[in-house]
Amino acid sequence: MGIDGLIILDNAGRSIIQSGFRSTTPAYPLLQIDAVNTALAAASRPTDVDPVIQVQHPSNSDIPSACCHVACGDLRILCPISGNVDPLVGFAFLQTFVDILQEYFGGVSLAIVKDNFDVVYQLLEETLDSVGHPLTTSHNALRDIVLPPSLFSKLLNAATANLAAIGGGTPIQGPPAGPFSSQIPWRKAGVKYASNEMYIDVNENLQAIVNKQGVPLTSSAYGKIEVACRLSGTPDCTLNFTNPQVMTDCSFHPCVRLQRWSRDKHMSFIPPDGHFVLAEYRYTPNTNSNSAITRFANPSSTAPSPKEVVPIPFAIKAKFEVEETTGTNGATGRAASFPGTLSATVMLMLTTRPIENVFVELNLGESAHAIKCVASRESGGLGRGLSALESGHAGSASASWSFDSRKKVLRWEIPNVPPSTHWSLQGSFAASTTPPRPSHALQVRFEIQSHTFSALKVDQLKITGEGYKPYKGVRGRSTGNVEWRW
Amino acid sequence: MAQAGQDAKFFTRGKIEEFKADLHAADAKDKKFVKRKTVLKKIVANITMGNDMSPLFTDVVQSLGTPLLEIKKMVYLFLVSYGRSAKPEQINMVIPFFLQDVNDRNPLIRALAIRTMSYIPIPVVTDALTESLRHCLRDRDPYVRKTAAICVAKLYAADPRRAEKGGFVEMLRDLMLDANATVVANAVAALSEIGDRPDGVIFKLNLTAANKLLSALDESSEWGQIYIMDSLLRFVPERHSDAEIMAERIVVQLQHANSAVVLTTIKILLYLMNYMENRRLIEYLCKKMGPPLVALLSSGPEVQYVALRNILLIIQRRPAVLKNDVKVFFCKYNDPIYVKLAKLEIMYRLARAENCREVLAELQEYASEVDVDFVRKAVRSIGRLAIKVEPGADGCIQTLLELIEAGLAYVVQEAVIVIKDIFRRYPGKYEGIIPKLCEHLDSLDEPESKAAIVWIIGQFADRIDNADDLLEVLVDTFLEESVEVQLALLTATVKLFIYKSKSEKAKELVHKILKWATEEVDNPDLRDRGFMYWRMLAINPTLAGEIVLAEKPPITTDSDRMDRGALDQLLLHTGTLGSIYHKNPETFIRNAAGRALTDSPALNPNSRAVLVHLPRPQIPGPPISVQGRGPVERPPNQPPTTTGPPGLAPTDSLIPGEDAAPAPPLPPRRNPAPQDSHTDDDDAGDDSDNDAETAQNRNDDPYSNLDSAFSTYLADEPKPMGAGAHRGRNDDDLLF
Repeated sequence: MGIDGLIILDNAGRSIIQSGFRSTTPAYPLLQIDAVNTALAAASRPTDVDPVIQVQHPSNSDIPSACCHVACGDLRILCPISGNVDPLVGFAFLQTFVDILQEYFGGVSLAIVKDNFDVVYQLLEETLDSVGHPLTTSHNALRDIVLPPSLFSKLLNAATANLAAIGGGTPIQGPPAGPFSSQIPWRKAGVKYASNEMYIDVNENLQAIVNKQGVPLTSSAYGKIEVACRLSGTPDCTLNFTNPQVMTDCSFHPCVRLQRWSRDKHMSFIPPDGHFVLAEYRYTPNTNSNSAITRFANPSSTAPSPKEVVPIPFAIKAKFEVEETTGTNGATGRAASFPGTLSATVMLMLTTRPIENVFVELNLGESAHAIKCVASRESGGLGRGLSALESGHAGSASASWSFDSRKKVLRWEIPNVPPSTHWSLQGSFAASTTPPRPSHALQVRFEIQSHTFSALKVDQLKITGEGYKPYKGVRGRSTGNVEWRW
Repeated sequence: MAQAGQDAKFFTRGKIEEFKADLHAADAKDKKFVKRKTVLKKIVANITMGNDMSPLFTDVVQSLGTPLLEIKKMVYLFLVSYGRSAKPEQINMVIPFFLQDVNDRNPLIRALAIRTMSYIPIPVVTDALTESLRHCLRDRDPYVRKTAAICVAKLYAADPRRAEKGGFVEMLRDLMLDANATVVANAVAALSEIGDRPDGVIFKLNLTAANKLLSALDESSEWGQIYIMDSLLRFVPERHSDAEIMAERIVVQLQHANSAVVLTTIKILLYLMNYMENRRLIEYLCKKMGPPLVALLSSGPEVQYVALRNILLIIQRRPAVLKNDVKVFFCKYNDPIYVKLAKLEIMYRLARAENCREVLAELQEYASEVDVDFVRKAVRSIGRLAIKVEPGADGCIQTLLELIEAGLAYVVQEAVIVIKDIFRRYPGKYEGIIPKLCEHLDSLDEPESKAAIVWIIGQFADRIDNADDLLEVLVDTFLEESVEVQLALLTATVKLFIYKSKSEKAKELVHKILKWATEEVDNPDLRDRGFMYWRMLAINPTLAGEIVLAEKPPITTDSDRMDRGALDQLLLHTGTLGSIYHKNPETFIRNAAGRALTDSPALNPNSRAVLVHLPRPQIPGPPISVQGRGPVERPPNQPPTTTGPPGLAPTDSLIPGEDAAPAPPLPPRRNPAPQDSHTDDDDAGDDSDNDAETAQNRNDDPYSNLDSAFSTYLADEPKPMGAGAHRGRNDDDLLF
């Protein structure tokens, strides 16, 4: 099994950095790039391209390979694989590499990669072997071998005494025993911080589909526990929850002791240094492990009880009408025009917190134009009856709308929806040639600060093995992605 | 790329001289190597831009004497790019540096040196590498050992015989017992790579070795875990309990954060299940596999796609895994098209009487979307659903009729195609809707849908009052139609004539079309069929009627499932390219080692009945024998090999290459698997029936129906019930 290499393309499809491809012919990476560019050019939307492209060798069909690729900012990163390789290894590696770049440079973009190409090259060398074995990908171990740019430049500038020592062969600034001296592969040895801190973020993402009747068809929340850890030495952490039963189907960072979790639902671990994802889980309301089993044993009861559905924090009513006025308006010279009206209302069901950054998107279909809309706040709280003019402009708390004429997407944005308020969008549009066929689904994205669907609560974070008292913080945040059909 | 090349034309010459001068200048007074570092950095930048820097070889290599890791790294980067094409005297110049660095105090430099050497497959370098590698494999630093392990695989690729003679394979095997988990994982990776080569040493694991590897699992990096688990496919359990204990040990890895680890774990569990006896454990494992698979669907669309393709395979073999999760696969409007299509297929597979209504409502929703391709597949899925789930058929027909009413041309075409199959699945039940179909005759302009409606008109000509009129219009354009439609028209007209032999119009039509088919058409199939009908009608019209209108065997979609043996084999490739394309890798990847279930006393009877044998290609050249120590153990109470022929006897962890001869095939088993309580399937009833059938019907080429099964996205076109491979709508009517 092997990953053949890695190619970073700019937004014009040109290669800016690629790994050595030492075990293949020089033409090979070019073919891969070509295949991806051809596929991208052929697709009407870049997202429609298969993520695994089978690459045909022009002269020798005996050399098969495939190319996994992902878009990443203004870059596209390709990962050619050949032989019978798990494409997921390719994608997992791509993800890991992007994460590493993120950690090193704080972002991934064409400019950043070009500025730091030597570091990117060193990283490529260390993370991927020429025949495609991923090598060192743990950020903590990598920092010992490849210096992050800030440290690197610091060292270049501060060219003094310790350079002699470096010349002697000891790795710079590293612990005396050299890299990989740490007994724990994900944590480097000898970490020291002036102030010890550990922050835990619980982020949940709601994925749901709501049908025409306003009933959720599917709705589940996926949670992620992210940790920013700045602790000296080798601390041993134990994280307890008051309601661990809301977490099902958990997956963990390798540092978590799985036995301990299955025994008493305590997450016990020696954390990596820096930022990492401790665990991911799915939230199922009313979790009762027995119910899952009985449901399994009894296949006739397929429909999940309503309790198993995560409630959606808002409701939408949408109406859409198209009149067909064929040839009645002879004066304009058009054979047919299809004026339509639409109206939609968002109501917040949540009573405790506002939801923020609500984006409602609707694809109006080909040939839609002449969009006119009024986004307003209908009722609830103060500010009732705001005039259309005011709300149409971007006040911090008012709604606005826009139309992407290239993608034919109508976007309605409400920065802040306080509890129990109603917001509405009324508008009209026209389509010239064909009857408009807007998509039958509104895509809604939103955020809720300091709220989790599962109400997962950290009971205690114990840190043992070290003498200091660290600062600890926990925070919750929810995002959602709901498809609302009408 | 092209632009960079142009830049090169302009600047290369000047720059190379410049760099040369800079390098020499750096020699003079550059105590902190700052200048040298800057120049090298520029040179490396130029390499990456595609400019040829090879003329600088001699000058750059001189910098290797600089005792600074940063500089060494860049020089080695340069060597990796140009070492292969360097002149012999240039390479000879580098060798002393290599040998010096291999003994450096810094483990990073030692590792860097052997790694770079292994990238340059030139005999001189390989010579130097062979000696150094031996020491590095025993280096006290794990970083050097793990790098050295991978270098062995590269040495093997450069010169297999030398690597074997040098005893490197044995050294790798010893590294599998190393204290450091990363070293173990890399040794396994190297051995696997060697084992996958068609000319490589066979790499097999026995129980002790497998258990040793498992204990290194927890400390390995995620990639190491993938290597180690993947290598477990080389372990053939001899007892049910071996497989069961091992599965219990690795099942916890399903909670890993890395999706590739999860999918590899699932692959191994599916493999081990073939050797298990304990039904409750199998059920438990199936239940455990569902949630992590579903969780993969919350990742990015790329991972989703790979996951979905694999799920499609897994649920065909182990339907219990995601039995109740059909809702997870409902498509969102914003999903990329490839994700939608994969989800659609899975929804159809998971549809049962209990969830049919939900699935149908969902499919109906999709049929109103904008994307033509997706809408067509959705409509087709509704038809397939009707054929698969009898209680839901009424609802499906209703939905299809509503869609036809809406009148979108491509929807109507697709609906007509599936309705034709529904008529065959439920004879005498839904023919009442034929008039509605005929109303939309004009909107059918694609061959497949046209052929379908022609078939319907011909087949039910006795119930359609104006069948002769309809056919007359259609026949008019006979000579311009595609062969598919021509064949359908020919048969339909003959049917019409047999139903209504009194009608003048029918007589006239059949005469016209037979004449055309036999005289005006070049296609031999069409001509032959024309002649045949003509003779039949001329000799004995009554008998011809009996033949042409003979009762059709009803169709089903059950036989569309992939052959069990082939499925077992494909599942060994879960999470690989093969599972994405649903083909066995050796059929499309050169040099891919095939994988097949290996027989052992523990293999359960159902899997054995459909066992596929895999000949290992015979390698020319003298036999190589590799002696060596290592964990060698046979299970104490292993029964004398009663089941397999000698060639399949359990073997030690490494077999010499001479055993690489094709394994003699098992004596053909005429008896289908005993259908007792030990069936390993969750839907036992359904599957054991299939087993009995497939065991007998299986043809010699296990892939023969794979290609056809997955050539189009919609794998399973309805086929005649019980009939083996023969399909094709054209000969539906010709039951020879």
